[in-house]
Amino acid sequence: MMTNKTTKKKKSLSIREAFKLNFRAIRLICRADPRLILSQTLASTWKSITPYVGIYLSALIIGELAGARDPRRLQYLVLLTLGSTVIIALISALLARWQYTVQSNRLYKTLMIFSEKYLSMDYADLQAPRTLEIRSQIEQMRTGGGWGITKITFQLEQLATHFFSLLAGLSLTITLFTHSVPASAGVYTLLNHPLAILLIVAVMLLVTILTPAFSVKASKYMAQGNNTHNFGNRLFGFYGYAITDKRHAPDARIYRYDRIASIHNNNKHAVFHSRGYFAKLARGPMGLYKTAASAVSVVFTAITYLFVCLKAWAGAFGVGEVTQYVASITKVFSGFSGLLSILGEMRTNAEFLAIEFEFLDIPNSMYQGSLTVEKRLDRDYEIEFRNVSFKYPGAENYSLRNVSMKFNIGQRLAVVGQNGSGKTTFIKLLCRLYDPTEGEILLNNIDIRKYNYPDYLSIFSIVFQDFRLFAFTLGENIAGTLRYDEAKVTDALIKAGFGDRLKEMPKGLGTYLYKNFDQEGVDLSGGEAQKIALARTIYKDAPFIILDEPTAALDPIAEAEVYSKFNDIIEDKTAIYISHRLSSCKFCDEIAVFDNGQIVQQGTHAELLKEETGKYHELWYAQAQYYTTTQTENASAEVTP
Amino acid sequence: MSSQKNEKKSKPQYNVLQNTAWMIRLAWEEKEKKVLVLSLFIALFSVAINLLNLYVVPTILAAVETQAPVGELLGTILFFAAALMFCNAATTYLSENVFFGRVTLRGAILSRLVTKHLTTSYSNTNDEKYLNSFNKAASSCGNNYEATEIIWTRLTTLLKNILGFLLYLLLLTAVNPLLFGLILVTSVISYFLSKYTDSYYRTHSEEHRKLHSRRFYVESRRTDTVSAKDIRIFGLRPWLEELYRKSMTAYEAFYRRAETRVFWGAVVDLFFTFLRNAVAYAYLIGLVLSGGLNTAEFLLYFSAVSGFADWITGFISEFSLLRRESLDLSVVRETLEYPECFTFEEGEELIPDNTKKYELRLENVTFQYPGTDSPILKNISFTLRPGEKIAVVGLNGAGKTTLVKLVCGLLDPTAGRVLLDGQDIRQYNRRDYYKLFSSVFQEFLVLPATIAANVAQSETDIDLERVKSCIEKAGLTAKVESESRGYDTLLNHDVYDDAIELSGGETQRLMLARALYKDAPFIILDEPTAALDPIAESEMYNKYHDMTRDRSSIYISHRLASTRFCDRILFIENGIIAEEGTHDTLLSRGGRYAELFNVQSEYYKEGGNDDDEQNN
Repeated sequence: MMTNKTTKKKKSLSIREAFKLNFRAIRLICRADPRLILSQTLASTWKSITPYVGIYLSALIIGELAGARDPRRLQYLVLLTLGSTVIIALISALLARWQYTVQSNRLYKTLMIFSEKYLSMDYADLQAPRTLEIRSQIEQMRTGGGWGITKITFQLEQLATHFFSLLAGLSLTITLFTHSVPASAGVYTLLNHPLAILLIVAVMLLVTILTPAFSVKASKYMAQGNNTHNFGNRLFGFYGYAITDKRHAPDARIYRYDRIASIHNNNKHAVFHSRGYFAKLARGPMGLYKTAASAVSVVFTAITYLFVCLKAWAGAFGVGEVTQYVASITKVFSGFSGLLSILGEMRTNAEFLAIEFEFLDIPNSMYQGSLTVEKRLDRDYEIEFRNVSFKYPGAENYSLRNVSMKFNIGQRLAVVGQNGSGKTTFIKLLCRLYDPTEGEILLNNIDIRKYNYPDYLSIFSIVFQDFRLFAFTLGENIAGTLRYDEAKVTDALIKAGFGDRLKEMPKGLGTYLYKNFDQEGVDLSGGEAQKIALARTIYKDAPFIILDEPTAALDPIAEAEVYSKFNDIIEDKTAIYISHRLSSCKFCDEIAVFDNGQIVQQGTHAELLKEETGKYHELWYAQAQYYTTTQTENASAEVTP
Repeated sequence: MSSQKNEKKSKPQYNVLQNTAWMIRLAWEEKEKKVLVLSLFIALFSVAINLLNLYVVPTILAAVETQAPVGELLGTILFFAAALMFCNAATTYLSENVFFGRVTLRGAILSRLVTKHLTTSYSNTNDEKYLNSFNKAASSCGNNYEATEIIWTRLTTLLKNILGFLLYLLLLTAVNPLLFGLILVTSVISYFLSKYTDSYYRTHSEEHRKLHSRRFYVESRRTDTVSAKDIRIFGLRPWLEELYRKSMTAYEAFYRRAETRVFWGAVVDLFFTFLRNAVAYAYLIGLVLSGGLNTAEFLLYFSAVSGFADWITGFISEFSLLRRESLDLSVVRETLEYPECFTFEEGEELIPDNTKKYELRLENVTFQYPGTDSPILKNISFTLRPGEKIAVVGLNGAGKTTLVKLVCGLLDPTAGRVLLDGQDIRQYNRRDYYKLFSSVFQEFLVLPATIAANVAQSETDIDLERVKSCIEKAGLTAKVESESRGYDTLLNHDVYDDAIELSGGETQRLMLARALYKDAPFIILDEPTAALDPIAESEMYNKYHDMTRDRSSIYISHRLASTRFCDRILFIENGIIAEEGTHDTLLSRGGRYAELFNVQSEYYKEGGNDDDEQNN
């Protein structure tokens, strides 16, 4: 729906605007890799103009055969033809080699323009609803018809091809109009009349314009159906592929996924199937327009033949020229109509470019000060939340409301609460992935917005709940660089409890994680992955270390191990620990209890447990009931009636 | 690499002819006969266009040269124009329309594969050989250029090439059979030489794939919104940039090597083209000079020489492509016919009956995964009595999920038997047996459909009242009714733009509702509280009895204490039922269960301050 709407709205794009958008896209591609456009255009241009050499030379041969038949001249012409063919083909092959080599990365170099933007934009914008919407639109444009910047290289190639083809063709055709029918031909001298020529050219032009017009009309149906197209592909991707994922094989049998999959996969009304949306269009207007385009192009050929042959028949030129004119004028035609349709397509594409530029032009609006964070040896930092409220971009409700709290270096803080109570949001604000909607966060009494952003980030080290490791070597994952200090990395891994496993690894730090790129790579259990993520935070050695549900993937024994190591890991750093398993809280100096986006309680474990009406008490006993013997009796009493 | 070698070793079960016949039969069965008819006509019209183009200039030229009457000249031109117009229009229209039938047939093949995969014996889905075969077959249905669709283009083009070849053969042998021989020989040699030079991509396909997947992987990480947090906090951007640049450089270098080979192929081809043209020119011009041919005929035959070469190379290259595609089709068919180890339709029928009391018994069951050294479960025996609630607990990797898969009939024991009311379940139709189970496993797949359809597992046959009551029991009513579209709210954002995303806990409740909707005699829950917070978890335990009323159930957990509401606990360790009993009896026994329980409860003991002091 969205795309349809925008397409309609953007129809008002003027040629000037379309040109500007295309020009900007071309500049972007040139910046990514100038060879992309150059290699493609050069190779195709060469391919488009060289056939005229053949046309010209073979016309000479025919002319000679039909005329004087001088064996020596024939020999000369044949050798010339054969020789030029060889040279042209050699150059073509060289250009093709260059072209295909360079083009091998075409798509990825274009995608890089976008991924650079992902990496540099404010995190808050990355997740904003509008960004996600544009992102999925761009994705759909690209997969459903290759619209957008990715199309530019092809379009420029076509543009050049058709343009040069037209030029070269014209240069071989001009004489068709200048050679006059001799006066002896009587009524046929009419063909010399400027009006006759004008008439012929006018009819040709009309036909030339009609063909691409029909093609463009036909391709409009495809562009309009872009969303339907994408939806069809998504359903196909789901019921044809996603549903066969091995992980769902048990459910597939118990819940008979085959039934619903088979209904969708055999649906003849599906978008691209024989009774679907596009099939109907192809039988009707879309197919007819395309057919008309191909039929009308023959009219052009017919008119050409008529004009050329009548003139030749009346004695204006010989049969050699007939072949030359007939062959080259058809190319003039395809060059001209190609040029028109490619210009039309570029204009259509401009609408898609506009959407892509809207994405690329999302400003980095997060304010950044220039203050540097003092690298204090004593790590004496103090953080304060002052009346902080926060709403996610585009959300209606606040995720955090009026949160105020203060904590000092060396403290261990636990943040607990039910799912959705605002724990993770609190952390995201702390490390400035988002800025507060209201209120402020202070580092050593200065608003964190006034610090230089990378500098501010440098004091945090975080294991997110959904942390990611990359399928490269273990060492690179810890250090985040290709070259690293091995001793320091090893030390971090040992501290994180990964030391024993490291010893088992055949290539040590050079071992690949997962098997994506190395058959000898290691698969990791959830617990192991978590230890590596932990090592990464230790390696960074930042004064604040934040762990978001670090034991979620661990079984009780492993969990106990992590808890007991926790103190060693954090040393003199400040630790913030998010969990819904409350057992972790007892390690902490202070516990903040979140409920519905607010801090409802704060204090030590013992203090909080005393408030019997408090949220903490409720949460604690929800879990602890299973572990206290008195509760056990109660529970079993409930169960056995 | 190894899989490639295997492919070469194992001979395909079906050859080109058999696979072509299979596809034609498929078009027949799926009522897409128009694919066959339209393809045939496209081939015929294409040959006609080719012939018209071959003859048009020489014919008109002859008329001009001989100064034929102007009416004849015009007539000729008009005839050719009309014929070309008709053939062009027909080919375009038919090609436009044949596409959809071809897509439908590819969809039909994929549908058969998906059905096979979703219903095949579960053990096949863990079998490397089957999986390779299935994945290969499925990827042969992935897009318009895969074997299951492109084969129609291939067959059409082949037909066109054969017809063209025969017609040109007639034309050229009329001039000189030797000429025909020369073209045949040079074309064939040049084709096979250039095939060698093009083979780099094929012989290095594994390297190609690796280089590509590396590039793809880095790109996908760079744009992944989850990775975005780690990338920012740990400053990973320069690292990823460098990896990306390197992966692209390596990819380009691969192409440079491959394209260099292709270049030399082009040079070889050039040589033979040169040779062919030189001979053709010399011979035909000689004929003209000796008066055997007129100019128009010269033009006709000269065009026919290069046209004939095109038919030959076209035929050979299309056929070798067809052979490659036939290999893919053979894999598709082998996958569809992959042997089953379970009994399905040929087994005894079983109709689930909720009024009946079923008893399920495992008798000396041992199970070992293929390719592993030791059994994961050893000699397990227990009975799930009618209406009983059993908990299976143990640490990660103890074999809890395997045990449940044996119970559900997803796996068959390596030794021992699973008995339903004393009868070995292997004698029943396994699909009927699955009807006895309502399960919630750990992996979720949310269908791109409404909430109601997800619960009912059908988009057409939904008992809305039952859906509502199951959603209620699963504790999801508040969420569903807070959505403006209620039970018609769409799920799965990958497919529907206006779908909502459920949280992990909500999805788990949805899956629970689905299990309750199925309302089978046995309920199996595998860690159903993993994504819930403590209060929601506690709520769930309180509801458990209500949900499983009158049903036998098995509840799996690694949290030892969470299962006290069950009648009996099986504690699995080292592949056996190490301890068995109620929570209290297990605790008082003071065995491994009690020991592990104490480790966990450590953190929940009152007065934990002692620990802190120790740490200090």
